[in-house]
Amino acid sequence: MSGNAMVSPRVSQRHPRPPWVGLSWATGAGPTTIALLVGIGFWEAVGQLAGFRFFPPFSAVVARLFEMIGNGEILPPLMGSLQNLAIGFSISVVVGIVVGLLMGAYKRVEVALDVYVYALLTAPSLVFAPIMFSIFGLGPEPIIGVIIIYTVFIIIINTASAVQTVPRTLIEMGRSYCANDRQIFWRIILPSALPMIMAGLRLAGARAVEGMVNGELFIAAVGLGAVISRAGARFDATTVLAVLVLTLFIAFIVVRVIMFIDRRATSWLPETQRGLR
Amino acid sequence: MIEIRGLSKSFAGRRRGRSGVQALEDVNLTIEDNEFLTVLGPSGCGKTTLLRCIAGLVSWDEGEILIDGKQIRGPGPERAMVFQSIALMPWATILRNVTFGLELRGVSRSQAEPRARELIELVGLKGFETAMPFELSGGMQQRVGLARALAVEPQVLLMDEPFGALDEQTRRLLQEELLQIWEHRRTTVVFITHSMEEAVLLGDRVVLMSARPGKIEEIVPVPMPRPRSEHIDTVEGSADMHRITQQLWGRLREWQVDVGKARGVAAAS
Repeated sequence: MSGNAMVSPRVSQRHPRPPWVGLSWATGAGPTTIALLVGIGFWEAVGQLAGFRFFPPFSAVVARLFEMIGNGEILPPLMGSLQNLAIGFSISVVVGIVVGLLMGAYKRVEVALDVYVYALLTAPSLVFAPIMFSIFGLGPEPIIGVIIIYTVFIIIINTASAVQTVPRTLIEMGRSYCANDRQIFWRIILPSALPMIMAGLRLAGARAVEGMVNGELFIAAVGLGAVISRAGARFDATTVLAVLVLTLFIAFIVVRVIMFIDRRATSWLPETQRGLR
Repeated sequence: MIEIRGLSKSFAGRRRGRSGVQALEDVNLTIEDNEFLTVLGPSGCGKTTLLRCIAGLVSWDEGEILIDGKQIRGPGPERAMVFQSIALMPWATILRNVTFGLELRGVSRSQAEPRARELIELVGLKGFETAMPFELSGGMQQRVGLARALAVEPQVLLMDEPFGALDEQTRRLLQEELLQIWEHRRTTVVFITHSMEEAVLLGDRVVLMSARPGKIEEIVPVPMPRPRSEHIDTVEGSADMHRITQQLWGRLREWQVDVGKARGVAAAS
C-alpha cells in the first residue's frame, strides 16, 4: 500500500485483509491446486499399481488427450460441442431470466407456471433427449434442446426467488419517492435480485456442460459425446477418460467465467456475505 | 397545511373468523406549515400506519387527507420519507443513494450530484460520497436516509421512528443535528416516536395516540422556545420539559394500568 499514510475519512481499503491472508494456501488458489494434485496422484497410483484394463493412469489419459489435440481428432467435435453449449445456454439464460422475473413479480404467472417448472426441474432431464431427437432429427438442434432442458428451469427458479426476496422496505422506499413500476423494476428489483440470479446462472452453467455431454452421448452423432461413444464401443477407456477430462475442464472454465461476471456485476456485496472464508 | 379528517383504517383478520384490527379510528388532525409535529404512543397504536397513510403508501377505509387543500392519492413529490429500517440501496454508493429521489424525478446527474454532495456535507458525511452503505454505522446510514429525503426538497418530511434502532449517544447527536437542520431549512415534519423525551424535545406539539383502536387521545403543546438546538442540554433539563414529559407519562401509564387490569380480570374469570 503506497501513499496511504494520510488519514482518509473513508475506510482506506475497502476490504482490509488480515495479514495471514497473504499466505496463498488460505486464499483459495492454493487449496484448489493441492486438492487437484492429491486427486491426480491417487488416480495415477491406482492406474499404475492396480493395472485394471479399463482404468488407465492419469499420465496415459493426458498423453492421449494431447495426441488427440495434436492430430486434429478432437478439435472439430469440440468446436461443435462448444457451439451447441453456447447457443443452448444463451437461450436458457434469456428465457430463464425473463420467465423467472415474470414469475417473481406476478403472482398469477407464478401460480400458472410453477407446477410445470418444478415438475420439469425434478424430472430426469435426459428423458427429453429421445423426444428432441424425434422432433429435430440428427444435428445440433436436439442437443441444444437438451442443454436448454437441463438449465432453464434452475435459472427460472432462482430468478423468481431472487425477485421475491427483494426487501419490501426497499420497494416501499422507491414508491415513497414516486417511482413508477418501470423504475421500481430497473432501479430496485433488478439490482437487488442480481446476486441470486447470478448464483442460478452458476449452477446452470455446470449443468449445461452435463446436458451437452449427456445429450451427445444419447444422440451420439456429433460432438464430444460421439467421440466418447465410439471409443466406448471399442473399449478404448483411455480415449473415454481423455474426453471426460476435457469435459470437466470445459465445465470448470464455464463456471469460472460466470463467477467472474458475477463478481463484476455484484461487486457491491460485502466480502462477509460471500460465505465463510 | 395537512388536514386529516375522519381517517379510519382496519386491517382484515388474517384467518377467517378472526376479527380485523382497527388500526386507526376517526383520526382528525391539522398540521400547520413548518410545524414540527411528533406522534407518540405505545407500539401497535397505529402511529406508523398514520404516517404511511400521509405518505400515500397505504390506502384507508374512511376519511380524507388533504395537503394544501388537495386530496392525496398515493405518494407525491412534496413529501419525502425517512424510514426506521433506513432502506438504503446496498448496491449503490452514498452519493447514488442520495441522488436516488432526484434521478427518479428526471433531474440529470450533473444537476443532482452537486445538490447531493451539499446535503451529504450538511448531514456530516463529507468524504463518504463513494463509500458503500455497509461500510457505515447505523447512525451514519440514517444520516444518508435524511440527506436522501432532504435532496428532493420536500415540503413535508415524514419520519418513521428514524432513530428508534440507534444507540442512545447516536440518537442524541442525531436529534440535535435534526433540530439544527430543521431550524435552518424549515419544512413541515411529522415525526413518529415511542420515546417521550424525544417527542417533547423535538416537537411543537405532541400527538398522543392510544392503541386498539388507534386514535388520538390528546394533543399536547410544547411551549419551549426555539431554536432549541443551540442549548439542547438546558432544554433537556428545563422545568417545561420535565412537566410535559410527566404529563405524557401520566397518560401513558393510565393506559398501561388499564390494559394490565383488563388482563388481570380476564385471567381471573
